[in-house]
Parts: sequence; structure tokens; C-alpha cells
Amino acid sequence: MNIQFVVMQLFNGLILGSIYVILSLGLTIIFGMLGIINFAHGAFYMFGAFVAYTIVAYLIPNFWVALIVGPIAMAVFGAACEAFLLRRLYNLPPLYVMLFTFGLMLVLQDFIRMVFGAAGVPFKTPTSLDGSINLGFMFYPKYRIFLIVITSICSLGVWLFLSKTKLGAIIRAGTDNSTMVDALGINISRIFTFVFGMGIGLAGLAGVLAAPLQNVSHLMGVDFLVDCFVVVVVGGMGSISGSIVGGLIVGEIIAFGVMVWPPMAHTLIYIFMAAFLLIRPRGLFGREAFHE
Amino acid sequence: MNKGVWSKQKVILVSGALLLAIIFPLVAPYVALASEILIFALFAMAFDLTLGYAGMLSFGHAAFFGLGAYTAGIILKNLYPSVPLALLGGVIASSLAGFIIGFLTVRRRGIYFTMVTLAFAQMFYFIAFKWTSLTGGDDGLQRVPRPSLGPLDLKSQIVFYYFLLFSVIICAIVLLRIVNSPFGKTLQAQRENRNRAMSIGYNVDRFKLRAFILSAFFSGLAGGFYTLLLNFVPLNSLHWTNSGEVVVMTITGGMGTLFGPMLGAVCIILLRDIISNFTESWTFIMGILFMAAVLGFRGGIIGILRNKLKLSI
Repeated sequence: MNIQFVVMQLFNGLILGSIYVILSLGLTIIFGMLGIINFAHGAFYMFGAFVAYTIVAYLIPNFWVALIVGPIAMAVFGAACEAFLLRRLYNLPPLYVMLFTFGLMLVLQDFIRMVFGAAGVPFKTPTSLDGSINLGFMFYPKYRIFLIVITSICSLGVWLFLSKTKLGAIIRAGTDNSTMVDALGINISRIFTFVFGMGIGLAGLAGVLAAPLQNVSHLMGVDFLVDCFVVVVVGGMGSISGSIVGGLIVGEIIAFGVMVWPPMAHTLIYIFMAAFLLIRPRGLFGREAFHE
Repeated sequence: MNKGVWSKQKVILVSGALLLAIIFPLVAPYVALASEILIFALFAMAFDLTLGYAGMLSFGHAAFFGLGAYTAGIILKNLYPSVPLALLGGVIASSLAGFIIGFLTVRRRGIYFTMVTLAFAQMFYFIAFKWTSLTGGDDGLQRVPRPSLGPLDLKSQIVFYYFLLFSVIICAIVLLRIVNSPFGKTLQAQRENRNRAMSIGYNVDRFKLRAFILSAFFSGLAGGFYTLLLNFVPLNSLHWTNSGEVVVMTITGGMGTLFGPMLGAVCIILLRDIISNFTESWTFIMGILFMAAVLGFRGGIIGILRNKLKLSI
């Protein structure tokens, strides 16, 4: 095993980790605010990739347009789902909302299968980001470097937004006690819609960004979602910094696993999670008695 | 539910259901469908023990079902073709997994529990997916024999159905005994009010762990039956969407009633079979139905029976 391969894998782990980060951020803010696991999150991620594919392949053959329009379209779609469907379920135990998102996941996936087929479709790397870049000690694909940059910007953006703006403060307050925020004269249901839309927008963004790395298929989100659960459990539920750190850890563990024993790469994160839960039952930054 | 005397209505209902179960393979589109329904009815009842009675939403029960199925399959195929041995191996494996996962997770509550159980179940999925020499990987464990059981020729679908019916009825009786025992009552007490149950002096987590292991036991048994039915173990039996399906069955039926989840399994598998005859995109329609069910009726099928038809089940 030469050092170049190791560095390359560490970079790949960073890429995978940054996709996890974007997806888990959405998962965790929705969880924090609504107290539910969004089982459709992986399906929204997949949907985002297909929105991008549709834009690039049929409408405007430009990746950058897809990168902007895709997440926004997904955010609007997510907000609509919240406003018209999920909202009716908030007076029920969270169980029912989760079941609803489970149904939504099946519907979204099968819809894409009907439209695009079960085999999936190839997604080309945008021409401007094609090829590799010389980092001095190794060559690395340009697109992957771009991914690291853009996901860092996004994570920082989300973190700044939630911790420094007024709306972010309201969202954080709503995470702690939404009834109280409502009583203080803030329209909490609008905030709910916003948060859900934002989470789905992030999932859509992750989908668009991940699309050039692989063939896009209707099942690309199913197992990926569970990896994100590991991220959220390791990072601590509802914690923004937990998602970021947890995502990078999980990404690197998989990359490390690929170096050591490829078939076990994925299993490794679950073993890690089990061990981690024994040491820190609430994850890295999880709070006590939070939605428990 | 009183232990001693059964109301007249209940006697009629139970005997009616039994009669239906006995003639069902004759009217069902094919016998294997009837058997599949029984297996999932058992799986859903087992699951109800954790969700309905202990109040823990596990999304990892596919691990127990799949582990039971794979262990039974591996024993039948590679070790020794004996039905009792295979089923026993299956339940030992699933109970052991139930103990390990339960030990790590029962103290986690609410959504945390759900996510962690799901993630652990996914671990088993990946192991089965990658360990191709043992499990067949993506293709599943193929060509598992279904040997005879003493004088019973289980190769005949109809004989297998009645063998299954007999076993599932035994399991249902055992499960009923469990939920109506002091142990079951304690489970329900801690579900309703955890702090109060603790202050009375119950070690709540230990009760939850036991319920979880029992549930894993019966799920593994259902998995073993599934292997016998299909002569094959699909990799999907371990996938987390399988856990999702049993959650849906339990809730559509009406959780915390044992009979409800059974009904849920019957309805969902029948419905899926019917819809898949007409269209390839039955998942789409099932998804819409789940969503509609959550929006529309929440007491489950049993709730409807209770309220609309005034049945005391």
C-alpha cells in the first residue's frame, strides 16, 4: 500500500463524507424541528439527482443550471409536501408521520422507476470540471475537488444561518420548544414549512452533487439514507456540528475500510456505531432528553 | 381481556377466523400465497410485542426475520436437512441477535431507538450481501431443500400450509399468554407511564429487553418458515424496507392487539398480490395506500371493526 493510495482514499472519504454531511444536515434539522425521522429523505436525494438529470438531458444542457434549479425545485417540492400533507399529522404520535414518510419514499422511488426505468441512467461530469488536477503529489479529479469546496461552503452556510441569523434563532428555539415559540407570536407552522423545505432542498443538492459520481438510479437513496442515520446517531441527533463531524468520520471510515478489507467497508461503520454508542450513548453532540 | 370466560361474540369470531384459515388455501389464488400470509401474520404479531405492547418502534426487525431465514437455510442446505433443526437454529440466531441489539439499544428511547435498530439491521444486510460464499450475496441463498417432517410430506404445498397453520396457532396462543401474563401487563404499564413503573420498582429496561428478545425469537421463527416456503432466501428479507413493511402491517391492522397486526398482514399481502396482477408499479399504489391510511384511519383495521361494527375484539 503506497502513500499516494492512502492519501487518495482519504480524499475519497472526504468526498463521501461531504455528501453525507449535506444529507444529514437536512435530516437532522427536520428531526430537531419536527421530531420525526424523514424516511423519504433518501428518496428526495434520489429525486434531486433525477431533476438534475432531466434538466441536463432534456431541457438546458448545463450542469450549473441544474445545480441551482435542482435544489430550489426540491425545496419547493418539500415545502409543498409539508404544507399540504405532513401538516395534517402533527397532532398524532410521531410514529404516524414516519410511516407517512415511509409511504412517500415508496411512491417517489416507484415513480422514478416508472419514468426512467429500473436500470438507472448515466450522468456525465460537467465538461468544465472534467479531467484531473495536479495537486503536486498526485492527480485528483477536478469534480471531486469542486465537491469538497462546495460542500464546505454549504455546511458553513447552514451553520452560520442557524447560529447567526434571527430566523436561525427562531428555528433553534422551535427545536427546543415549538409550542413556546408559537405562543410568543411567531407563526411556527410557517417555520415548519420552511425548515422542511430547507432540509429537502439540501437533500436535493446532495443528489445533484452526487449524480456525476455514479449512475443515477431509483434506488440510490435507500441504503444511503441508512448511512446517514449512522452519521446522525454518531454525531448526536438534532446537532448541526454533529452532522458535520459525524459525516466526515463515517466517510473516512468507509474509505479506510476500502483500503483494508473492501467487502467489510460498509459493515465497519455499523460496528463503529455500536462501539461508539457504548462510550457515548447520545453521540458526539447529542443532548439529554431531546425528543426521547 | 379476561382470561377465564370468553364472550359469546369472541368465541364466534375466533372459530370463524379458524374456519376461514382452514378453508383459505382452497379459495386463495394459490396455496403459497396463503402460506406467505400466515408467515407474515406471525412476523407482525411478533413485532407487535415490541411496538404495541412494549411501545418501542423498532425498524430493525428485518434483521431477526432475515437472520432466522438465513440460518435455517444454511442449516438445511449445508449442514443437515431437518426442519426442526433448521427452525431451532434460526430462532437461536435471531434471539441471540435480539439480545445483542437489544442490549445496546433498549435504553435509547423514542426515535433514537428506531434509528439505532435500523442501522444495526442494515449491518446484517451488508454482511449477507458481501459474504457471498455463505449467503449467495445478491442472488440470495438458492436451492434450499424442504425435507419431510416425520410422516408429514412438507413438499406438498397444502400439507405445508396446514403445518404452518398449526405452528402459527401455537405461536399465537403463546404470544397471547405472554401479553396477558404479569410480564405482559408490566410491559404495558411501562409503555403507558415509564416513571411510574420504575417507581413501583420494576426494572423497566430489563423488561423491555426481554420483550425485544421474545419478539426477535418469533420473528426468527417466521423467517425460518419463510425459507421453507420459498426454498430460497432472498437478500431482501434482511433489508430495512422489510422492517418497514412489518411496521406498516402492524399499524394498518391496529397495534397492541396481536390480532390486528395479523389482519394487517392478511390485508396487505392479499392487496399486494391483487394489485401486482394488474400493474408492475404496485409499490407506487401501496405507497399511496399507506399514506392514505395514515391520513384517513388511524385505529387500524381493528379500530374500524371495534367502532363501526361494535365488535369486542
